[in-house]
Amino acid sequence: MTRPSGLPQPEGPYPPTDEMLAEPVPKDVQEAQAKRLRAAWETPKGWRYVTAVNNTEVGKWYCLTALVFMLLAGVMALIIRLQLAVPENDLVSADRFNQLFTMHGSAMMFLFAVPMFEAVSILLLPGMLGARDMPFPRLSAFGYWCFLIGGVFVIGSIFFDAAPRAGWFMYPPLATEDEGPGSDIWLLGLSFIEVASIAAAVELIVGTLKCRPPGMRVNIMPLYAWYVLVVGGMILFAFPPLIAGDFLFELERSFDWPFFDPTRGGDPMLWQHLFWIFGHPEVYIIFLPSIAIAAMIIPTVARRPIFGYSWIVLSAVGTGFLSFGLWVHHMFTTGLPSISLGFFSAASEAVVIPTGIQIFAFLATLMAGRVKMTLPMLWISGALAIFTMGGLTGVMLALAPFDFQAHDTYFIVAHLHYTLFGGMVFPVIAGVYYFFPFIQKRLMSDRLGKWAFWLTFSGFNLCFLPMHLTGLWGMPRRVYTYPGGLGWDWLNLISTVGAFVIAAGFATFVWDLIRPKHKQAQIPRNPWDGGTLEWTHDVPEEAWGVRSIPHVTTRYPLWDQPDMLARLDAGRYYLPDAEEGKRETLVTSVIDAEPVQVQRVTGPTWITLWAAAFTGGAFIFPTFSWYTPATISGALAICCIIWWLWTATAQVPEADSKDVGLGLRLPTYSAGPASVGWWAIWITMLGDATAFASLVFGFFFYWTASPDFPPDGAAHAVPGLIALAAAAFAVNWGLTVGARQLNRAGRVTPARICLVGAPLVAAAGAAALIYAVVELEPASHVYPAILWALAIWIAVHSGAGVIMQVYCLAGSLFGKLTPRYDADIWNVSLFWHFVTISALVTCAVLGLAPGAL
Amino acid sequence: MTEEHQPRRDEDQKEFAEEQASLFKITLAPLIWAAHFAACYGLVAVTCAKGWDIDAVRFGLLVASGAALCGIGWVGLTAWRQWNVAQTGDFVNRGGRAEDRHHFLGHAAFLLSIISLIGVVFVSLPLVLIGGCQ
Repeated sequence: MTRPSGLPQPEGPYPPTDEMLAEPVPKDVQEAQAKRLRAAWETPKGWRYVTAVNNTEVGKWYCLTALVFMLLAGVMALIIRLQLAVPENDLVSADRFNQLFTMHGSAMMFLFAVPMFEAVSILLLPGMLGARDMPFPRLSAFGYWCFLIGGVFVIGSIFFDAAPRAGWFMYPPLATEDEGPGSDIWLLGLSFIEVASIAAAVELIVGTLKCRPPGMRVNIMPLYAWYVLVVGGMILFAFPPLIAGDFLFELERSFDWPFFDPTRGGDPMLWQHLFWIFGHPEVYIIFLPSIAIAAMIIPTVARRPIFGYSWIVLSAVGTGFLSFGLWVHHMFTTGLPSISLGFFSAASEAVVIPTGIQIFAFLATLMAGRVKMTLPMLWISGALAIFTMGGLTGVMLALAPFDFQAHDTYFIVAHLHYTLFGGMVFPVIAGVYYFFPFIQKRLMSDRLGKWAFWLTFSGFNLCFLPMHLTGLWGMPRRVYTYPGGLGWDWLNLISTVGAFVIAAGFATFVWDLIRPKHKQAQIPRNPWDGGTLEWTHDVPEEAWGVRSIPHVTTRYPLWDQPDMLARLDAGRYYLPDAEEGKRETLVTSVIDAEPVQVQRVTGPTWITLWAAAFTGGAFIFPTFSWYTPATISGALAICCIIWWLWTATAQVPEADSKDVGLGLRLPTYSAGPASVGWWAIWITMLGDATAFASLVFGFFFYWTASPDFPPDGAAHAVPGLIALAAAAFAVNWGLTVGARQLNRAGRVTPARICLVGAPLVAAAGAAALIYAVVELEPASHVYPAILWALAIWIAVHSGAGVIMQVYCLAGSLFGKLTPRYDADIWNVSLFWHFVTISALVTCAVLGLAPGAL
Repeated sequence: MTEEHQPRRDEDQKEFAEEQASLFKITLAPLIWAAHFAACYGLVAVTCAKGWDIDAVRFGLLVASGAALCGIGWVGLTAWRQWNVAQTGDFVNRGGRAEDRHHFLGHAAFLLSIISLIGVVFVSLPLVLIGGCQ
């Protein structure tokens, strides 16, 4: 149906034959290539260093920032433990204590655990995949700066005695009624970071699917990449419900729209559902990537391929799915029907099976191999021991009757810390020791590492093992002090001592990490004898990622393809050169990783910093009800992003194809499903659609939960205007897709006419939708409020869509978008596919539901 | 370990379509589990809130459980055939050929259908064991 764009197809022999690979590259050619490559990938120096976007730099900043936030949250935990060391203590006030535990939980989750996955993956994944960089380096940098700004804002609030204090889950009505800006700081600051998380997830998914080295079919990619795919997918479905919840929550905080206020038809349970639909998968979003690090370390120490590769893939994918059926086990005591609790209890037990399988696969690998007990393996062993303990108490807590007893006691605190330390902290530290030579081209100290391990491990058990008992003896969570003589005194004192032993362990680890290592001799290139591609890294460091992108046919290429490393270094493989002085990486097909395109990737820039700063303003100013600066800041952020896209993405290349080595010629531009940008939009919009679905879920939740929804005699949205809006959105969709097809067919003028009409029609549709609800009083009852929320959601998306259409029109007028180079209009029509469906669903809910319910 | 001949483009595209289907097939069994789970939770929640006939709903959902089990069984069977371990004797599928990837995707889909099968049985148990909306 769609006419081909006329861009060239890949040409030349693939896969390369042994003779082709055996042919040497002349020395002078090698040197000239390396020089050009080095120049293209050079990291900016001096104060321009912050403009770097290369994954190795952004990844390092990301990891260090998350580490600092973790240490701050750890200090908060120490203060909490000091306060609880003895009964009737008055070290901190009750209010300060509430701020401390709220911030400890929020920071550990949102500023450490989830960002750490993104940070580590951005840092390591391109190395494991033999890619030069992620497909969208500037997006990673933008995400990082957003994270930094949002994180400093949220965690900084505690120094002004203004931190959120209603618990990390922000349950209404406590959090909605709370005086002061604490809840707003939580909502807006963390929403901002959630957006950055989704950006990272998109980047990582596209990177795994499209930037693997040629020949790396899905059955031989590193297990880490499988985990990244699963976790990226989970982020897309788990974070949006929370964003939708935040949206409703902030509307209630700012404008008194009663989404969670039962006196006006709202329901606090909706928040609990939306929060835990995010919150439980999030536990696995934290756990899976950390266990993925174990899956990389274990084959190396066992000196054999992983046992049961397919079984581990099964357990990653299976856990990913099952983890979405567990959320109500955080709500067992909210009075849901016991049959409903039964479903969630059953699913909570079922998830143990895939989780257990991967641990057994690891143990089997270790038993079958010749284990060399290295420092990373020591940490992994600690992780497995601790995580198994946490898993066992998890099985107990998944049984609703037991949970009724243990709910909100220190037993839960013990359980969750066992899962998070065993499932996340220990594996990540193991990963730091294991990958440090890859990251910094230095080694960490074996002796300090052992000290750190034994201090942390014993301190951890000293702190949290007694807490099981404290909890079973009835001590509730989140109390700032307790009376003496209830049998809790000495248990709490032991826990406090343990907490400080953990702190000593962390201090040792952090010192080992940051102590100067300049005097160290040059390290071996592959110090652990690993088999995967990241150990082809250059020592001393080169910024190009990989000298040439290899053809990979095995799971452990360094073990199984003995000639590969020398050929890779000689530039025998793909893209050994940067003739045009541009940064490039290979794009390959999703399943079999056949090379399909040379992707130009972006380089250092200030624009991501500006964009992040203004985006930060748009989220942070509303916390203090400064709406005008927020609006200005938001507008400036949009300008920055447009400038960034216009000057750096989907550029018309100087030649349609280029020689990438080994006789292969690949196109330099692609549009539609062949391009990485299209995949990124598709994945982003999947997340966006999930958030929208959560809002619609809210509408039907109110109907389920209350006997009169919509209330008798309530005013409804104006049916005529709704019909008009639906018609306008349908026409707009036709015009957008029409513009794409006409443009591709070479009929540029009619395409431009469509692109003039489409934004006008879309704006008219959004206006009609808003006018349909404008007479309703959103603060009076939840029914008008949720109609308003849906209408606003669609109007905002239409606004973004209109900007995109105008962008395409401008592209067409200024020669950026032509019938041959039309990636932008493909991406924009994909965006509008999703928004049109959302808009039509909204029109159906607004117009038809009052009659149907 | 590379293939002997250079594949032609049209041949590739056909194969790609098949493999896209089998990548989708990996998620099919867990998706059936998810749909079954959502149906059980959603329908029971509305039934209890609105006072509908819980016994009829339980019976209907048990029928749905049966259907879900059959669906997963079918996915598992086709995946087992795709894995084809009885003939190849290859439990690991770590080779770099298109055939290895084909068998691997079958293997993974087969294992996932087993876990989904267990999941559906687990989630159906409350329908049998717990009587009403108390």
